[in-house]
Amino acid sequence: MSDSVIEISGLRKTFRDFWFRPVAEAVNGIDLTVERGDVFGLLGPNGSGKSTTIKMILGLLTPTSGTVRLFGLSPRSHAARARLGYLPELSYLHPFLTAKETVLYYAGLSELDGRTAKARADELLEQVGLKEQANRAVGGFSKGMARRVAFASALVSRPELLILDEPTSGLDPIGTREVKELIGRLSADGMTILVTSHQLFDMQDVCSRVAILSHGKVVGGGRVANIVEAAADKRHALEDYFVSRLQSSGAVQRVGSET
Amino acid sequence: MRRFLALARSATLEALAEPLSAVLFLVALLTIHLAPVFHYHQFGEPGRLARECGFSALLVFGLVFATAAAVRVIGGEIASGTAAAALARPVPRPLFFCSKIAGVVFAFGIFSVAVAAATLLATYASAEGAHQATCCEEGESSRIWQPGLAAGTCLTLGGFALAAAANRFVRARFCVTACVLLALAQPLALVVATPFGHDGFIATVGALQWRMVPALGLLVSACVVFIVLAGALAVRLKPAPTVALVSAAVISSFVWPVRAILPAIQRYWLVDDLAFGATLAMDEVGLSFLGAVLLTVFWLLAGSVLLQGRELP
Repeated sequence: MSDSVIEISGLRKTFRDFWFRPVAEAVNGIDLTVERGDVFGLLGPNGSGKSTTIKMILGLLTPTSGTVRLFGLSPRSHAARARLGYLPELSYLHPFLTAKETVLYYAGLSELDGRTAKARADELLEQVGLKEQANRAVGGFSKGMARRVAFASALVSRPELLILDEPTSGLDPIGTREVKELIGRLSADGMTILVTSHQLFDMQDVCSRVAILSHGKVVGGGRVANIVEAAADKRHALEDYFVSRLQSSGAVQRVGSET
Repeated sequence: MRRFLALARSATLEALAEPLSAVLFLVALLTIHLAPVFHYHQFGEPGRLARECGFSALLVFGLVFATAAAVRVIGGEIASGTAAAALARPVPRPLFFCSKIAGVVFAFGIFSVAVAAATLLATYASAEGAHQATCCEEGESSRIWQPGLAAGTCLTLGGFALAAAANRFVRARFCVTACVLLALAQPLALVVATPFGHDGFIATVGALQWRMVPALGLLVSACVVFIVLAGALAVRLKPAPTVALVSAAVISSFVWPVRAILPAIQRYWLVDDLAFGATLAMDEVGLSFLGAVLLTVFWLLAGSVLLQGRELP
């Protein structure tokens, strides 16, 4: 049996307008494999195709060509999706639901029974530091608090694969550290994690493997341990590698100037 | 089943949580309860104005409330990303669409029950033999039944005030609580007021115009088709064109190609058939109701197919 959790081959996505004219080639032939137990970082500048790739993995977008396999199944298969948790880039929450109701809503979507769902919601809200705010409507939450609720919702079904789109977005330094620690704990428990982020310093700490995307293509990647070992400046190894790959792919002429 | 209930519950809450919903509930119910005040306008039959007010409130306020809710729940969730977050879970898209619509229809059901109870009370309050009011000129007869008018308006306003108190003291969601309490206030008003029957006698259940209920039910069934239509269109269109198309469909529902796929409102508007104590031909009501059910299923399928092919970027 293959140990691949996600297998992507020749993946392309072209967005079209109302008249089916191509508007943007968001993903342009990606091949990737995420193995069981990996903490896989999908890195790239804005518009590089990270979120589009994730949405094709989730079955929310249909690839123009190429294939995505999730646990060896189609991403639209319910059996595959029952095994994953997803934290979107923005914390899409119903503002009229309380924090606890939000987690219970996602527990209901994962078919958890009432008692298990309530126990799990209490446990997760305590874990993300929102136990005292559990009965407040999330519409009044700060961005960071909403992010924590979304994180708890993603974990409610105890997924085997966790997909995190910019998990530290909107979090303060303490919150960011807590998320990194949480990713570490989940990974230690055997969970496979696919994460996108702009925070390369944070990614270096948590990821076991990375892929660098630029203009919808993979322009670099590998084991983080190998990247760090080969780097002169160990502290900024991933950042230096990221910039060098973008420069060699022509996406960046010099640091800070994308073409 | 848990997925269905989770999605439907969130849709019901979303429909009722909007401030517009509480305003529409309040205005519709007060309009019906205050209809007996206009006791000079009988249209040849006591209680007719109240009855027509009830039916009109159900059609106009009900459609505005439920169409806006369906557009917000389906289109709004797709636009805001909450639909994508839900559909990334093991939720089949047809289940998502049907559950969300079921939640909106349930909210519309709450509104309909409230309107039906208020209409029963208002028609009874303005019926022949009601207590004399003091507001008329000498020698002119009046047919306002004061216990009904008082119970209807006071409990409606009381429900609204109680929702405000619940929000203030126990942080209950104001609009949701207001809608629910306004709806509960209507049957309560009916129960509280009817023992004080016309001319001081205890009223019997049979004194109420129950014959209106099948006609109200039929109108509700037609409205449900338009709610599902709004949801199906909202899968692909933005709110403004969706509302415009649904409005156009309601207005032109008697025109040939439209009436093949939507209920012709005239066939479902049977308030005139209730005039002067008439009762409805139940076989015709049943046929029209069946037609509405089939059209509801058709638009549920259409909405599910549209959502199945919808990309969620």
